[in-house]
Amino acid sequence: MFGAMRLFLVLLVLQTIAYFALSLYSRGVRRRKLETWWDEKGKQGNKEAFVERGLHVYDNSFRRKLILAVYIVPWVAIGALIYIVNYM
Amino acid sequence: MAYVKWAFIIIFWGTIAVVLQYSLPQRDIVRIVNTYEERQDLNDWTRIFWSEPDDQSTSLSNRDVQFIQAVRANGKPIVYRNEDTSWGWPLYFKFDTANLYTEANDAISDKDDPDWVAVTHYGWRNEFMSIFPNAVSLKHVDGPDVRLIPWFNIIFLTVFFAIIWAIWVRWRRFRQRRIDPMLDGVEDSLYAAGDAIEERQKGFRRWLDSWKTK
Repeated sequence: MFGAMRLFLVLLVLQTIAYFALSLYSRGVRRRKLETWWDEKGKQGNKEAFVERGLHVYDNSFRRKLILAVYIVPWVAIGALIYIVNYM
Repeated sequence: MAYVKWAFIIIFWGTIAVVLQYSLPQRDIVRIVNTYEERQDLNDWTRIFWSEPDDQSTSLSNRDVQFIQAVRANGKPIVYRNEDTSWGWPLYFKFDTANLYTEANDAISDKDDPDWVAVTHYGWRNEFMSIFPNAVSLKHVDGPDVRLIPWFNIIFLTVFFAIIWAIWVRWRRFRQRRIDPMLDGVEDSLYAAGDAIEERQKGFRRWLDSWKTK
């Protein structure tokens, strides 16, 4: 069972790194998009407040939660592989 | 410098290509002729070409390994090892070695009445190093000329290179936006410093010249 533990631990560490990297990257992309929208449309008012509001909407969005697939997909793939290789 | 850069690039991608070639599944259409078990010594560097089916096997210097002997449609022999990969690399999660051994024994056939099977395997056969590809599964097929499409490899390689490309494009954009301007800035200020020193020297030279007798 030590082999399984080792695999799970390594996978968990990799997934956590990927999760945080993707989260930061995705939020950065969204921030840049919001700023570009603002600049293009030339809206009146506070640009920072607009960006913050947009990021708040993003934080609660489904898109944001899709990054959690980083944790789910590999386990599903491993389960599918075990079934295909050993039981089919 | 360009040679060093290209050497690094070729070694990097060559390593990835070799690892993929070793670990991705391939299928041979063969006729199984026999199976056997043999004690294998595993304490030299070729250990990396054998599996670690369970936790104890990492400390063993030899153990019994199952083999499957087969003949290809062109008459050439091929021998597969039959080992669990368990939770280790490559990630096939093969635990059904004993079942596969049974299936292989069930599929034994002779020349007169051949029973063709497609053996999925990974790894290399090398006679000098005595290494064998590991059979993962087998499937009965109609004949030696059946066309097998490697769907898994097609999808895997497409996704793999798509991810590499996506990361590469983003890294290049990031470099153009952030790092190149910074380097340009450093270059500019170096030139500016050089110009300033030159200017100073000119001034100094002019002052010296002023002492010279005309």
